[in-house]
Amino acid sequence: MTEQDAIRMTNEVFADSFEIPKEKLLPEANIFNDLGLDSLDIVDLVVALQKKFQIIIRSDERVRNIRTLGDIYQFILTIKKELNK
Amino acid sequence: MQLKRVAITGVGAITPLGNNVNALISGIESKKSAVEYIPEWDNNVGLRCKVGAAVRMENEKLIPRQNRRSMGRLSIFAVQAAEQAVKDSGIKTEQLTGGKLGCAIGSTMGSAESLAEAFEIMAADKDISNLSSTKFFQCVSHTAAMNTAQYLGITGYVLAPSAACASSLQAIGAGFDLIRLGKQDIMLCGGAEGLHPTVVGSFDVLYATSSNYNKEPKKTPRPFDAKRDGLVCGEGSGILVLEDFDLAKKRGAKIYAEIIGYNTCGNGSHVSESNREAIIFCIQETLKSAGLNPKDIDYINAHATATIQGDKEEANAIREIFGDSVPVSSLKGYIGHTLGASGAIELIASLVMMQKSTIYPTLNLEEPDIDCQGIHHVLQLEEKKIDILLKNCFAFGGINAALICKKYGV
Repeated sequence: MTEQDAIRMTNEVFADSFEIPKEKLLPEANIFNDLGLDSLDIVDLVVALQKKFQIIIRSDERVRNIRTLGDIYQFILTIKKELNK
Repeated sequence: MQLKRVAITGVGAITPLGNNVNALISGIESKKSAVEYIPEWDNNVGLRCKVGAAVRMENEKLIPRQNRRSMGRLSIFAVQAAEQAVKDSGIKTEQLTGGKLGCAIGSTMGSAESLAEAFEIMAADKDISNLSSTKFFQCVSHTAAMNTAQYLGITGYVLAPSAACASSLQAIGAGFDLIRLGKQDIMLCGGAEGLHPTVVGSFDVLYATSSNYNKEPKKTPRPFDAKRDGLVCGEGSGILVLEDFDLAKKRGAKIYAEIIGYNTCGNGSHVSESNREAIIFCIQETLKSAGLNPKDIDYINAHATATIQGDKEEANAIREIFGDSVPVSSLKGYIGHTLGASGAIELIASLVMMQKSTIYPTLNLEEPDIDCQGIHHVLQLEEKKIDILLKNCFAFGGINAALICKKYGV
């Protein structure tokens, strides 16, 4: 998976699941303060990312450190790399 | 203790005939049936009834996503009907959040569509990891009340009577009691229900649904008719604003009617078979609570869903109490049986009849069944002054409810 794939597919999750306009989907956007997600949305974000990328991250402690969209892009790429090892 | 008087000061409805009260009334006045053949239901093995009365949902995206995510179909209907009712009543935003305004909104169960989705997600592999965070809030039995209260910022009582087809009349009765007792000044009351094949199936397995008119959907349901063959499920929501009469008058509110009597009771005999004696007891207790005699009632809006047994028991109960002197009609032929919403939606239409001094006939009632005779069936539109009306609701589980409204100023 390329970085561009990770960005595109993650942005699709935010547009489809959370109805966020594409112009707001910037790497530095804070998913809570800038994009308006709350604690319930984080549960749905995990479910949507699992489905989109065919990964299992529900019990992954690193999810707790995610703050920005850029953090998600990097997290996805890391997970995919780990799976390919 | 001096009980307070209770006024109805606002109404709102989402119905298979349209998404506001005017559309509902306009459909009824044009003798329109909202019942349609639903081709997708052919995929449900064993389902005999293929007709239903669906709402054309619209404007749901006007509800912000973070409110909407916990709403299934029925909660969206409830919120939209409640918004209409609040606007109609003219109550102010600060009253919604002041602690003396509550809501009682019932349904048979949580969103049937959401429940089916949740089971599909969880049951296949016994795996909950793909369940969304808000599916639970769509599925719970108090979903309509909870979502309406959250959306409008209601901080008073939040109740969710769940008594199948009597849910919304029980909700209105609960609001009536709370205001009478001085516990709340204003209550948003009513019910909501969503149409889904699993809901139809619950009646279908009991042979309580209509199945002979799948190719002629406009001819069913046929309340009290000799050729009736069961109920047709509908969906929607009806919400009424109930208000302390004196406070309503003080603020110059438009008053549709005053609620003057209510009763609900169990039949103590059978979960699915209506019982004439229990219906008679319920209506008589309602009359007693209003201090009225049968001759005081000008119109009865019947429950009459078009089941063989239910219609017969209701007609016989009405005959025993009222004889053939009081006009009786059912609205199920127009919008199907909206289950937990039916009491509220049909009461709202009955209040319009009261306002217009007009009684809408029972659609599809062509030849009253021999089992349902001896009462004054309304076959054609009748003009009659309605000062006092009675609304009936009878539910699976053997739960009956009845409510009496009096025209304002009478």
